[in-house]
Amino acid sequence: MRKELRRWAERLRERALAEGLSFPPVLFEEVGPEEMAMLAAYGGFPRRYPHWRFGSEYLRYRETYRYGLGRIYELVVNTHPVRAYLLEGNTLLAQKLVMAHVYAHADFFQNNLAFKPIPKDMHEEMAHHAAFVEKAMERHGARSVEEFLDLALSLENLIDPQALYIQRKEDASPEERPPGRLRVRPYLDPYVNPPPEPPKEAEEGASPTPLPPRPTRDILGFLARHAPLAPWQKGILEIIREESLYYVPQAATKILNEGWATYWHTRLLLPLLSPQEALEFAELQAGLLAPHGFNPYRLGYLLLKEVEDRWDKGRFGPEYKALPLGERLTYERPTGEGLKKLFQVRTIHTDLGFLDSFLTPEFALRQRLISPEDLPRFAEAKKALLFRLTNGGYPIVELVDANYGNRGELLLEHAYEGVELDLRKTKAVLENLHRLWGRPVHLRTVVEGKEALLSAGG
Amino acid sequence: MRPIERDLLRFKEIVRGEVKKRAREFLTREELFGQVEGRLVSIPLPQLELPKIVYGEPLGEGLGLGGPGTESLGPGGHVPVAELELEEFLDLMGEALRLPRLRPKGEGEVTEEAFRYTTIARKGPRGLRHVRRTLKESLKRALITGEYRPEEPLLVPEREDLRYKAPKAKPRPHAQAVVLFALDVSGSMREEELRLVKTLSFWITLWIKRHFPRLERRYLLHDAEAWEVSEEEFFRAREGGGTRLSSALLLAEEILKPYPEAFYNRYLYHFSDGENWQGDTPQALEALRRLLPTLALYGYAQVEGPYGQGRFLEDLKEALGKEEGLAATEVRGKEDLPLALRRLLGG
Repeated sequence: MRKELRRWAERLRERALAEGLSFPPVLFEEVGPEEMAMLAAYGGFPRRYPHWRFGSEYLRYRETYRYGLGRIYELVVNTHPVRAYLLEGNTLLAQKLVMAHVYAHADFFQNNLAFKPIPKDMHEEMAHHAAFVEKAMERHGARSVEEFLDLALSLENLIDPQALYIQRKEDASPEERPPGRLRVRPYLDPYVNPPPEPPKEAEEGASPTPLPPRPTRDILGFLARHAPLAPWQKGILEIIREESLYYVPQAATKILNEGWATYWHTRLLLPLLSPQEALEFAELQAGLLAPHGFNPYRLGYLLLKEVEDRWDKGRFGPEYKALPLGERLTYERPTGEGLKKLFQVRTIHTDLGFLDSFLTPEFALRQRLISPEDLPRFAEAKKALLFRLTNGGYPIVELVDANYGNRGELLLEHAYEGVELDLRKTKAVLENLHRLWGRPVHLRTVVEGKEALLSAGG
Repeated sequence: MRPIERDLLRFKEIVRGEVKKRAREFLTREELFGQVEGRLVSIPLPQLELPKIVYGEPLGEGLGLGGPGTESLGPGGHVPVAELELEEFLDLMGEALRLPRLRPKGEGEVTEEAFRYTTIARKGPRGLRHVRRTLKESLKRALITGEYRPEEPLLVPEREDLRYKAPKAKPRPHAQAVVLFALDVSGSMREEELRLVKTLSFWITLWIKRHFPRLERRYLLHDAEAWEVSEEEFFRAREGGGTRLSSALLLAEEILKPYPEAFYNRYLYHFSDGENWQGDTPQALEALRRLLPTLALYGYAQVEGPYGQGRFLEDLKEALGKEEGLAATEVRGKEDLPLALRRLLGG
């Protein structure tokens, strides 16, 4: 890296630490647009298992850059140490901004609770996964493994976002683990700890514990343990599940995390700017915070500024909340607790809680997210936004019964909340599930306002 | 190879496979026609999409935040779209439909200019300075002015000595072609048949162009008389009177005159329902006998209309079936297109 950049990285790091951020070492690296496109396609990691989907994504990023339709300034990966890639050829100021931004992301990764159970050596994990899949391809043929990956990837969102937190609890009490099982990487588990023979059909009816014991959202995990598959296939299901879980906290904190990073790059950099740089900074900032479309940078940043301002002015607590809207806008009880509050928000919230707690009618009015005439519809509009953030915007689907009708069929249930499923895609997924499970698969949901049971293979 | 290149290659391989698998479908996709005129063919590949259980409608936007922007990491993903170079797309189609390669008849006329840096100029960019020529000029000047001393051969080029490499247009022979489409509009061609004609002529044009980058196109319509029209007019449905196929062939002869066969690969395509006026067929065949040796191909496509079809195809095959350069076929519907296209291109 250029000497000047390195000097600035150090300077910004010191400022960030002095202001109260805390983060592991950050390794910056400048990369060209093609390499950036590759890293973006691979979700930040230079080594992933072979799949054409990455090639397709790579092509898309590369062409987007080539035609000047967009560029990726920065890519930051949640590992220890944190790795951050800067786009070669950006101006010095842009790189400074990005570095300050990255330090705040690093702080977020380290301190936000949603990231607590995420393994910090994901580079290694991803490389293991790649090696596992490559080996499977050598043994079982690249095409059949690819076909299975296609299948598995269509189930990539059928996970329990809480699974990592639950697993952690189990890890704490090893005595709960069944005896004779060795602890290994999950995708190696089917090799090291082969599952007991499935119960014979006659016994199954008499079996006192239903399968699964409780409805579960961890459908990928369930299939990896119970579907009639070869060990390498189970391994792949586990790999997809693990990688999917890795990205859950990132998706769940996009608004807060980007808002936090934007807040800090502004705060760290602004006092250091020369007049010429101030102009360039304003331009970059305006691009970043542009109000078109759904812009997580803008929403996150503005809402954090709002929280800081409110807590600085004492606009919280029961006394404040009791005021009518008009008086709230001018209420003042200076406390200077803004920054402290921000650190708390950064630690405990995901986007859902962040917006639920702080997206107020005052804020929506001030930022013109809503017009005064529409104010009565605020609660409804807010609910719609929160719904979009729930479960990463995916429908919640549970596996209810793996022995449906006592015929070894799968029964899934969609927790219907007023929005129906994409029928074509859902049916395609059910077909895939059927191919995996080998028996008919059903999904209870609502179609055109009526309860419906979608089936595949029945 | 870097892993991402491997993934990219695999993706492209899949795309190629898809194009070949769906060649028959692309053949009749009219929305492709316009696109193909550009450089890149954009092919949506819904079957490459990895389906997921997602909501069927966009979730409520809420609070004037607009739709999901480019930053959205949300569900659904995107339908993979492959962009292929037109040439690559055509080659894949050609492979899938087993279209014949066209061979240029002659060297063709001298047309294209290729620039080569073969001359020397007194002005030019620094990067193109020709050092030896510059020093030579410098030496010349030094000799003339008597500054040159062999015991101390120092040359200092002055402005007037500087010489630069310069490009020169170099003519290069290039095969060229002309294609003339003739359409019988005598009543029985309807919307449906016209669509078949349009599809065929579109692909014929592209395929010829793939082999002869310099391709000129002409169009004529006829019933009992023939007249030349523009491309747009050619594809507008209309009805006329009786049919004289010879009228088209005679006009074709005229239109093709400025394209001598020595320099041009001349293609003539004729679409008709084959119901020729009695008595005209001998005349048409006579005109064809004259024309055929001057053409790279005469493609005759007999399109079956709602009232059945005429007998020109039979007459034609009987009279000239053994001649080289005759490509005659019939088209009854969409399903005949792949074969008809192959036949019309001489395959």
